[in-house]
Amino acid sequence: MKKNLLYYFPLIKTGIKRFLLTINLALIVACLNLIQVDAIGVTDQQQLQVRGKVTDSETGEPLAGATVLVKGTNIGVLTSVEGTFSIGVPDGSAILAFSFVGYKTREENVSGRTTLDVTLAPETTGLEEVVVVGYGTQKKETMTGSISKVEGAEIVKNPSVNVTTSLAGKLPGLVINQRTGQPGAENLSILVRGRGTFNDNNPLIVIDGVPRDNTLQDLNAQDIESITVLKDASAAIYGARAANGVILITTKQGSQSSPKFNLTYNYAINQPTINPDMEDAVVFAESYNEAEWYRQGRPATGFVPFYTAEAIQKYRDGSDPILYPNTDWSDVSTRNWATQQNANLQVSGGSNNVRYLLSFGASDQGGNYVHVDDSYRRYNARIKVDVDLSENLTVGANINAIPSNRHASVGTDFASILLSNPTVVAIYPNGLIAPGRFRQSSLLSDRRGFNEIKNYPFQSTFTASYKVPFLRGLTLDASYNYDLRNQFQKTFGKPAWYHEYNVITKEYDMAWTIQPIEVRDTYSRWTNSLFNFRISYKRTIAENHNVSAMFGTEQQKADYSYVMAYRKNFVSAVIPQINVGSTSATDAETGGSASESAYNNFFGRLNYDFKSKYLLEFVFRYDGSQIFPEGKRYGFFPAVSAGWRLSEESFIKDNLPFVDELKLRGSYGELGNDRVPAYQYLQAFQFGNNYVFGGKDSPGIYSSRMPNPDITWEVSKKLDFGLEASLWNSLLGAELTIFSETRSNILLQPVLSVSHVFGFPALPDQNIGEVKNHGFELMLTHRNTIRQLTYSVNANISFARSKIIFMDEVPPAEPYMEQTGHPLGSGLYYKSDGIINTQEEYANYPHGNGAQVGDMMLVDLNKDGKITGNDRYMTNSSPIPEYVIGLTTNLQYKGFDLLLYFQGQTNAWSYDGGLESFARTNLDNNTVFRATNRWTKDNQEGATMPRADAWQPGTTDFFLYDATFIRIKNLELGYSLGNNLSKRIGLNDVRVFVSGTNLLTWAKEITWRDPEINGSFGTYPPLRIINVGINVNF
Amino acid sequence: MLVLMSIFKISEIMKTIKIIIPVILLILFSISCENILDISPQDRIAEDAVWSDANLIRAYQTELYNAVPHGFFIHMYSKYTDEAFNNAPCCGANIFKLNTYTPDNIAEAGGGTGFWASGSGYMYYWDRAYEYIRKINVFLNKMQESDVQMSDKDQLIGEARFLRAFIYFNLIERFGGVPIVDEVYELGDEVQFTRNTFDECVTFIEQDISAAKAVLPDKYSSTDSKYGRASGVVCQALLSRLYLYAASPLFSPTKSQQKWQKAADAAEALLNKGFALYPDYNKLFQMSQGASNDEVIFSRGFTTANGHQGPMHNFNRRYEGYGGWWGSNGPSANLIDDYDMINGEPAFLPNGSVNPASGYDPTQPFKNRDPRFEATILHDDMYFRGAHFEMWIAEDGLSWGYDSYKATGDNPRTNTVLLKFMPEEGPFNWQTQFTIQWPFFRIAEIYLNYAEAKFELGDEATAREYVNKVRKRTSVNLPDIPATVTGEDLRRRIYNERRIELAFENHRFFDVRRWKIATTVENAKITTYDIYLNKTTSVKRYEKVVLLDRSNTFKDYQSLLPIAQDEIQRNPELDQNPGYD
Repeated sequence: MKKNLLYYFPLIKTGIKRFLLTINLALIVACLNLIQVDAIGVTDQQQLQVRGKVTDSETGEPLAGATVLVKGTNIGVLTSVEGTFSIGVPDGSAILAFSFVGYKTREENVSGRTTLDVTLAPETTGLEEVVVVGYGTQKKETMTGSISKVEGAEIVKNPSVNVTTSLAGKLPGLVINQRTGQPGAENLSILVRGRGTFNDNNPLIVIDGVPRDNTLQDLNAQDIESITVLKDASAAIYGARAANGVILITTKQGSQSSPKFNLTYNYAINQPTINPDMEDAVVFAESYNEAEWYRQGRPATGFVPFYTAEAIQKYRDGSDPILYPNTDWSDVSTRNWATQQNANLQVSGGSNNVRYLLSFGASDQGGNYVHVDDSYRRYNARIKVDVDLSENLTVGANINAIPSNRHASVGTDFASILLSNPTVVAIYPNGLIAPGRFRQSSLLSDRRGFNEIKNYPFQSTFTASYKVPFLRGLTLDASYNYDLRNQFQKTFGKPAWYHEYNVITKEYDMAWTIQPIEVRDTYSRWTNSLFNFRISYKRTIAENHNVSAMFGTEQQKADYSYVMAYRKNFVSAVIPQINVGSTSATDAETGGSASESAYNNFFGRLNYDFKSKYLLEFVFRYDGSQIFPEGKRYGFFPAVSAGWRLSEESFIKDNLPFVDELKLRGSYGELGNDRVPAYQYLQAFQFGNNYVFGGKDSPGIYSSRMPNPDITWEVSKKLDFGLEASLWNSLLGAELTIFSETRSNILLQPVLSVSHVFGFPALPDQNIGEVKNHGFELMLTHRNTIRQLTYSVNANISFARSKIIFMDEVPPAEPYMEQTGHPLGSGLYYKSDGIINTQEEYANYPHGNGAQVGDMMLVDLNKDGKITGNDRYMTNSSPIPEYVIGLTTNLQYKGFDLLLYFQGQTNAWSYDGGLESFARTNLDNNTVFRATNRWTKDNQEGATMPRADAWQPGTTDFFLYDATFIRIKNLELGYSLGNNLSKRIGLNDVRVFVSGTNLLTWAKEITWRDPEINGSFGTYPPLRIINVGINVNF
Repeated sequence: MLVLMSIFKISEIMKTIKIIIPVILLILFSISCENILDISPQDRIAEDAVWSDANLIRAYQTELYNAVPHGFFIHMYSKYTDEAFNNAPCCGANIFKLNTYTPDNIAEAGGGTGFWASGSGYMYYWDRAYEYIRKINVFLNKMQESDVQMSDKDQLIGEARFLRAFIYFNLIERFGGVPIVDEVYELGDEVQFTRNTFDECVTFIEQDISAAKAVLPDKYSSTDSKYGRASGVVCQALLSRLYLYAASPLFSPTKSQQKWQKAADAAEALLNKGFALYPDYNKLFQMSQGASNDEVIFSRGFTTANGHQGPMHNFNRRYEGYGGWWGSNGPSANLIDDYDMINGEPAFLPNGSVNPASGYDPTQPFKNRDPRFEATILHDDMYFRGAHFEMWIAEDGLSWGYDSYKATGDNPRTNTVLLKFMPEEGPFNWQTQFTIQWPFFRIAEIYLNYAEAKFELGDEATAREYVNKVRKRTSVNLPDIPATVTGEDLRRRIYNERRIELAFENHRFFDVRRWKIATTVENAKITTYDIYLNKTTSVKRYEKVVLLDRSNTFKDYQSLLPIAQDEIQRNPELDQNPGYD
């Protein structure tokens, strides 16, 4: 099975047609059981024939495909398109059960009748909402934890190939920043309630019950049923891995119905949100000349500029594009837009014993560079089947394969394109491609070889659930999960050809780069297996006391290994295979390594509530992690939470009838974070650092870290209070949570206080740090229907601020340098105060050794008359936003629907290091933003930017900017053809839509680049996507 | 579970399943075992194994040799001096080019692991030095306890002590006196280190060297499989450099003759050990370790699996080198001007005017120079690997040579390229691991050490004799320095000979400091020659231009490097070098 899937999927490029065939075949196989068991419409023992019609209780429309089942038997039928049915029942006292997905199941006693019309009431969402929590589900109304949830239907509104990008701003408490938009390398940072530790702050990502880090971005958005985030102590059920929060992703499953097909197709174009505006050749040359003059000591006479006045004139008027070009590298290297498409076909359904979902998706994304053969293709195939083997026993399988292929040309990156020198020619007027700097022109990329990563992840889950018949309420659940990922990476390098204009012969000489032909193949393999067993019990005692308990155990094992082979000096570049390379030992190289990890744990949950009014919950985990030394591997992580539903009290019901739901809740618990390198308790040696004697290599071994035999996990104590309300029949919903967290035992290297004279190699992490974190989340919802206009508004804002209580900090020379007391991620900066505009200012104020007139003026904070490292102060300038906001509006009018979604952040800071290096001798380009109104000898008084080749002793707050922004993250307009029209063309429902992502951005200070990226302007910005799509149900 | 799923006729065996399933589940449940967590690492070995296995002990000792920095990092120390013009605006190089190093930024030049981090070549050697000192101390302790039978045990210990001595020498030439650590500390030990004096450090180094010499073989020939390991002559060479430095003005303000005597004696002990100058100055720096020669006393070897990229960091665009960019090691006119003329006369007089006796022609500054000039520096109109190098610009500015800085910024701005250590044969690209060895000590240096010490002791004849020896190398063959050159003039010639002979071998940075001439040398403008070609007359015009003016940024106290501010704060008992606080 496994092998077939992997082998075939890359071949299914021919399209949906062929896939439909596959699906149909698979369906036939899957439904074999169903046909056998059900024997629809054929019964021997019929004594009484009952006919009738099933309709929607609200609209009166007939329900096609609803199940009618004689209770206690296998006799059942499905309703026709008109909603009618006819069923034989054994006798007149039989009970018929009517069920349909999305509706409440209804039972009706035949009572001798032969005609039976039934209406089914839609399942109300909202209050009855069920939320996935750790190892189970809970009703939202009786939940006591701080848990955010987003539905799959909302996620698919964003056409990004990477599903994580669509979560930003959706879930209060979740801080998602897209630091780059490079296709396939989006590098999204996901944080739950900001940062709580100096170390890895990534939350635990659990997909269908299995911790599956680094696979979220590969998920098919269409497969996602819901995403929930455990933000508070309720995550304690995930023990030593839960302190950073837990994100639970649940995939869709089939439900009892006739087969429902859903076909979605999206076609989109994308482009970077902002391409930074770079200096042209004239400004570049002028600023470089200025810098040269400064470097030569500002000679009064005899200065020979690097770029002569005539040259600059030629750059300006374009009269000599061969020798004096004015190259806009970004323009010649990038396309206006790239395309991406995504097709998805899903079929789901089921009878009363079998439910299935088959899903196939294909995504394709092109690159934004010219002459770069970039592409990313991904296929998502999923089959999920649940079978009721008996009344009490259900088994299921969920199998998911995600083959993907990323192909890229080597040697191109956004930063180097932007930094390219505009006075260097890219393409000659006759169309020939020039070498660029160091023959590294990005336009030669597709001639240089490629880098290809083929990934074959395969995830499987097998479940069994048994309701113990002799003890009502007792259920046994078990699952076995096995994930395998094979990755094959090939890097192929070969010399590229180019042309170069010869100033002497006036010819275009063809030449080659000198790189030898080389191939590097890396084969990596990851496995992850998890076994899980749970026993749960649920009972209502004496009518009012609802008790449930769950206890479970889990073992997880993962391993990783890779081998690498390299050869160079190929005879020919025709075949990029390793065996074609030179057989000389000096031309070959191999490598490889392996690692293993394991977890063992026990966990449980106890719930008690009285009349669903007073709620109490206890969860725990006894967690064992192989990362820590024997004897210190196990830890106990408990949490308690309680809730009080005031809306159930008569004093609210009687006096405040507009209150639908009002709940107070609180939680407290202890969680752990074990995301640190393993084996730090061992003094271990690695092979490497060889040395050469007599011209021959001799092996070396070394140890790069001191051991800490006492190492253990970080401990997080979380306290939460929440208020949830729903008023005036959902017209207004509100949820407010305030929280505080104390993270102690934070693993830190005591680097700061241990003198290097001790000679310790890297120090081990020690459990010494402490950080406090607090904040709130507020969500307001409004939902209403005015005639045919249905609309909803959902606004959320979250705030989280950390404060370092203890870290191993050397008492700094000045109190304002201390990091303790500041948020995580804050940094030391020199304080700037404009520009040293004049010689007079230069003479009158302290300046560093190296500063000249025109540099930024730095503040002598300790007033010792010198600018030294002690004049740096600790800012509160973390790039992680403290406030994150999201605002979603949904409108529905007749067939039209509109979604408008804003995302924003404030209290975030970004240091743009790219602005530091301007007009330096390495001939890198810089932005127009940096060059504009810089200090020059002719622009002294009013300058707002430092001089060319400006000097600064270290990071200064001059280039530290407020990263506040608001953007239209998503806008979608859709039109549904309506039932009648759709049915006329043989379909149930057709919806067409256009959407846009990152359409407009308003940034407070950062205007020369995207405000969401962190660091230099040379980072590939997030993408703006314009998408059209169609969704068909049949 | 898969088996269960494939069961076809479900209804018939339903009853059996009802019983079986819970049983299976319970069995699975009980399988869960605790020793799932007992995993031993697959990519490393535990410490106990190391000290009980002779081969692993040898591997540990081998690794200790990495302690001493070689010169093939991205930034040769040459660009920290007036030997070259440094373009690189990063990685610590900038602070030396501009003489703006302070306790706050000195650690930038500290190196580390990885391509860019090690770029600075460990000029700030403090952290790495003490890390290896501890490794050596651990090794010495473990060898005392160990009962593993090894025939080469004494030798390994001796080499380790030599390495400790070499590390300490590298420390004191940078910082002056530093804390002496000869025991192993563990985490949690509370010690405040204080600095020992320079002389105490010298004594400590002497002790290690004599202990090493006592157990090591006297010499390995350059083709011996153990060449590259410490030996008696290697110890002696270190001693020669150590005593020379210790007697120099920076470290010996009292101008002790005794110290010069020790320096002379240490060098003298190597004069009849069978070493001799290699005939070809150019080829000497293209050798891989293992090649036959009598000149190099101690070198760092490289192999194709364990090589360096020195040539790529320093060459120009012809081989896609970074010579015009990060590496930017273009030799300066400051150095060019200091090469003698072929007639043995300096081109310039001390006052900067042309030496009339030299025959120097300012319109053709590259003509008739010391042959080492063209073996060290690739300039306009020279051939290398068959290619003709052209660094000129047409007078009208409309055309230029392929290697001119005008053609592209990938060529060094100096219009010169480093030629020393550039391979004349074999592949030349970024994918190649170069194997040219790095000479730590060679006999020419010992001759010059000897000459300098003898000069300071007043024995000018011997001093002149050994300088002349160096100038008499077959491929150099310069006329002798005449006996009429005496006193300060002779000192200048000795200093200059060292500058020329040992150019780009990481000596200059320390020499100008220990001679206390850095306030002049390191404050001089860095210059180069621009070459203009008149296309009608084919005449080239050489114009000297200033590339960097750093007047008066070098302060006298900068002759010693500062200790990083953080380190002082970690260890308040540690005194900062004067001038920096």
